[in-house]
Amino acid sequence: MTAGQALVTAPITIRSGAGHWLRSYAVMTRWELGSLRMFLPLIVALQVVVGGGFALGIGLFFDQMPTRNALYLSTGAAVVTLITVGLVLGPQLIGNHKTAGTYDFLWSLPVPRTSQAASWVTVNSVIALPGMVAALLIANWRYDLPLRLSLSIVPAVLLTIVSATMIGYAFAHAIRKPMVTQLITTLLIFVILGFAPINFPPENLPGWLADLNLYLPFYHMAVVMRGGLTEGLVTDVGISYLVLGMYTAASVAVAAWVVGRRD
Amino acid sequence: MEDWTFRAEGVTKAFGEFLANDGITLEVRPGEVYGLLGPNGAGKTTLVKQVIGLLKPTSGSLTLGSYDLVEDPDAARQLCSYLPQAQMPIDSFKAHQVMALTGMIRGGDPETVRRRSDEMIEALDIGEWRDTLGAKLSGGIKRLVGFAMVTVWPGRVVILDEPTNDVDPRRRRLLWEQIRCLGDGGASVFLVTHNVLEAEKSVDRLAIINEGRLIAEGTPSSLKAEDRGRMRLQLMVVPGRATPEMPSFVHDHTRVGNNVIATIGEVDSAHAIGWAQELIGLGEAEEYALAATTLEDVYIRMTGHASEEVDAEVPA
Repeated sequence: MTAGQALVTAPITIRSGAGHWLRSYAVMTRWELGSLRMFLPLIVALQVVVGGGFALGIGLFFDQMPTRNALYLSTGAAVVTLITVGLVLGPQLIGNHKTAGTYDFLWSLPVPRTSQAASWVTVNSVIALPGMVAALLIANWRYDLPLRLSLSIVPAVLLTIVSATMIGYAFAHAIRKPMVTQLITTLLIFVILGFAPINFPPENLPGWLADLNLYLPFYHMAVVMRGGLTEGLVTDVGISYLVLGMYTAASVAVAAWVVGRRD
Repeated sequence: MEDWTFRAEGVTKAFGEFLANDGITLEVRPGEVYGLLGPNGAGKTTLVKQVIGLLKPTSGSLTLGSYDLVEDPDAARQLCSYLPQAQMPIDSFKAHQVMALTGMIRGGDPETVRRRSDEMIEALDIGEWRDTLGAKLSGGIKRLVGFAMVTVWPGRVVILDEPTNDVDPRRRRLLWEQIRCLGDGGASVFLVTHNVLEAEKSVDRLAIINEGRLIAEGTPSSLKAEDRGRMRLQLMVVPGRATPEMPSFVHDHTRVGNNVIATIGEVDSAHAIGWAQELIGLGEAEEYALAATTLEDVYIRMTGHASEEVDAEVPA
């Protein structure tokens, strides 16, 4: 073959099955990480600063931070860094593709939609995990916390990242106008920081708002994460795993439906 | 042996009450470069987005060989390559890397797509930018890299939406050669454009779409058949002046900005020149040009729009 000659190699049979899925997942993860290459170090550094800074900054409100409050704040900061990537940053990146007009090309690539979604979760994890670890390390240094790491942190982190990322992924794809996505992500930051019992216990909220949070995923994300990071701080972790597991399954199903539908 | 003919039958796409495509039926054979011409908003991009599975027809069918592209969008994406009208998301990639990576996403093996990327870089004469990040490329070079991305491992159908936008004239020619090569290699090429003059030289067949409907289809020469023995008189009217009254020898005319494009019989050429010179003498026109009719004249007559080439000639 020489330059100038075309190569027509479209498949005679359509690729499918686990091998095709895994190969697609691998190349799409390369694509997504490559797309963010210029900004990835900056985004990760920002997450580290935000996670650590949040744990330190809120502490300035108090002369003396009781250990229990410090535990809530520090583990909460770790949860916030995890879920804001999937629920805020991720949707904004997808919105940017819609604004720039590059969305159609990405959506025309011949890979299974689910492998594209899985690579998105991987990229979100790469961005979010350093911030989470930094928040915990900085808070532990500042408040000398009695953290007790257990193996249950693995499923806790996994469920939290997958559910947050898939919820963000679903609404970012479903909403046509990127500006609406921006507004929703702004609202979510407001809710997550101020009105969800992530950085403080649910007793601090009015009764009706605490009850409402039992039906939302944020409180349960915080509970399962605290279950893996502390001892005796939270109870009824099993129920939170159940609720969060249902949210994760539902978010994956809704995301699959959203990306599979066509106008 | 699989028949890879592409068929659209009665494709209608409605957005509420608005019909973006209205019963479009066409067929593209392997090896054909098929032009989709029409003014902005005619429904060309809507049609190709349905082929690649980004939109679903309200009614009608789209098939490629034995594959139903509407029912099986996964197959549609594997069988068709798509270069959208917008720029590609390549800011963070070096030109040759992004071509190879896209080739692998399209199903190519790493060694072949790397070799093909280098061949495309050479064929499009963009070696100077082989290792340049996309963010630092000009619009035209980005466009060429985008073309290479979708054709480094092409589908059976290659959809190119305004591929020559921003590309300099010399590399445009190289790009057209590569588009021709795709057809020669057996792909069906869908070329979406409103640049009629370029399309006339490059496509095997074409369809003119206007207001969602396919209003004409054929080879460039068959579409011009009605204009045989006719000439095109292009008259630049003095800005602000009304369109002059047309003499009886003018078959039809269209005004775009200050350009009046009239069709006349060859036998009336001398009369037409005399009339145009008289208008210039009276201060009603600034200049004129008489030339053989082109596909552009057919296009203007059918759609009531000039293509981008004529638009560009119209003073602001």
